[in-house]
Amino acid sequence: MADFLSLRNLRKVYGKTAQTVALRGVNLSIGEGEYAAIIGRSGSGKSTLLNIIGTLDRPTSGTMLFEGRDLFTEDDDALACFRNRTLGFVFQFHYLLPEFNALENVLLPYRIFHGRLVPDVVARAKRLIERVGVGPHMLNRANDLSGGEQQRIAIARSLINQPRLILADEPTGNLDHESSEEVKSLLREINKESKTTFLIVTHDRHIAAGCDRIIEIDDGQVKNDFNASEFGEDEKWQKLAPSTCREKIRLA
Amino acid sequence: MFNLSVAVRFLREGRGQTALILFGITMGIAVQVFLNSLIVGLQFSLVDQTVGKSPHITASMPDLVPEPSYVSPDGLTTLSRIVTNEGSVKPIRDWPPIADQIAKLGVFKVINPVARGSGFILQGEKALPVVLQGFDPEKADRLYDIRRRMTAGRYEVGGNKVLIGRNLAAKLRIGIGSPLRITVPRGTVDQFTVEGLFDLQNQPVNETWVILSLSRAQILFGLDQGLTELELQVADPFAAEKWAADLRAVFPALKWLSWQETNAQLLGALQAQGSSSYIIQLFVLLSVTLGIASVLAVSVVQKSRQIGILKALGALTRNVSRIFVIQGAILGFTGSLLGSLAGWGLVRVFQAVSAGSTSFPIPVGFGAIALSVVIATVSGTLAAFLPARRAARLNPIEVIRNG
Repeated sequence: MADFLSLRNLRKVYGKTAQTVALRGVNLSIGEGEYAAIIGRSGSGKSTLLNIIGTLDRPTSGTMLFEGRDLFTEDDDALACFRNRTLGFVFQFHYLLPEFNALENVLLPYRIFHGRLVPDVVARAKRLIERVGVGPHMLNRANDLSGGEQQRIAIARSLINQPRLILADEPTGNLDHESSEEVKSLLREINKESKTTFLIVTHDRHIAAGCDRIIEIDDGQVKNDFNASEFGEDEKWQKLAPSTCREKIRLA
Repeated sequence: MFNLSVAVRFLREGRGQTALILFGITMGIAVQVFLNSLIVGLQFSLVDQTVGKSPHITASMPDLVPEPSYVSPDGLTTLSRIVTNEGSVKPIRDWPPIADQIAKLGVFKVINPVARGSGFILQGEKALPVVLQGFDPEKADRLYDIRRRMTAGRYEVGGNKVLIGRNLAAKLRIGIGSPLRITVPRGTVDQFTVEGLFDLQNQPVNETWVILSLSRAQILFGLDQGLTELELQVADPFAAEKWAADLRAVFPALKWLSWQETNAQLLGALQAQGSSSYIIQLFVLLSVTLGIASVLAVSVVQKSRQIGILKALGALTRNVSRIFVIQGAILGFTGSLLGSLAGWGLVRVFQAVSAGSTSFPIPVGFGAIALSVVIATVSGTLAAFLPARRAARLNPIEVIRNG
């Protein structure tokens, strides 16, 4: 059987005259149900990688296979359908549509594809909103929710089409500590409940430490890729330090 | 469905902007509807004034062209002589069957047999030129509306009784019961009695017309039972040209002339008026379209974040552009509907304000309004295409990267 998600030699170069190489040949394989963190300094290429995995961007070269399906040979409409039905997105900013209320925002991905709503889906959306704990404010406009609520609604929205893979880009980057903790545990719980695969790009090493697998990107390449449970707490935290820092520690 | 609801939300959210452009479209379409109604009303009233109380189609005998007296062997050169006898027009004989046949068509309001010719009123040394109108009094009244416009005497033309215009009576300094000596080019001189005076609100008519009975005129001009003209009136004056052509085909021996052919100048003026109104309407529509286009162009920039999110969530490019095309259509449709209503209101206000001075009715045609709405909706849709394309091209990463 083909891998769930497999990246082969992904390269991304920006610009034509003054070229910036964002990814210099990334090879990765993600299994179904994994809960993985992608860490790295800013400018390391981790967001570029997530955008490519999310099919929002195309690589300069290399392939990405989703259950054997070679995605970047397909056209934009096919990729849009793929995003809609297979992926869930949680961004640093909530990106809810201010013209719609919380419930309508959660239903957006479904309506984009199906147009008309059915009672089952509305019920599912309500359950999801209850699940992320925003039930009482379900009919509030997106802008009439607190930051934490907005991000939790965004999580509910990412789940409405029952995606196979959820991509989160700094999901707590814009939240206070308390909301951040809530969101962190919410993502983990959803992973356990629904066996949905998670890829979380984060600066926050607390979040990374809570993941099963940690992938470190540096200078457009996979620098480090390990299973957190194989290491003790001390070792794990040491490994979570940026690669450049680790070299300094070793030198010291 | 989904595109529609997003489009409606976007319009509702940009309330001030939407209201402003709707107001603009409403004003534009109101002016268009008002102008159009005014021009149509004016044209109808002008046409009615010109041909409302006159024949729409006139039949007469064509001038005689004698056989050529010399034809060259190659057939290119012919010599001929055209004989016209002023005053001795060839009459339409045997006209009752023709009139019957025309009446059976049921499209002509009036069929008026006429024996018409020129003559002179002799008064002392003076000879005043006049037009003698031999009429059937009932039929002529239905066409020319004379009875209602009598100023003195009775509407009666039997025997040697004649009716003359108010101005002619004044010129001759005569009145009811006065004798009138009339001669015609053939040389006949007859004595008539003035039975009544009329005022047909037309100076030349009031100065030259002498109305006598059809049979008396036939005798005077030596027409036997014939006519000089057969005058017809149709319900829709603008259809006269078409009917004249039909009659020409059925009765080729007669010369059929519609009022359009004899009033080419008036028609030209009406057409010029119509086309200048179309040009104004075109520019109104153009500015409405540009207004919609610019508002939507701004809206695309304002909503770029939302567009990016929708695309990231899997909205197809064509659906994103449809959201804006639908907005254009909604603006065009709603604006033109409101505008038509406002235009109708303007017409009513205009009529109320100028109740005394404008005597012509201004019809607000449902068809014209429907056409305005359709055209504005289509223009709104077209106006949205450029902004819609820009929206479709938007890259979601740009939005997500920049927050």
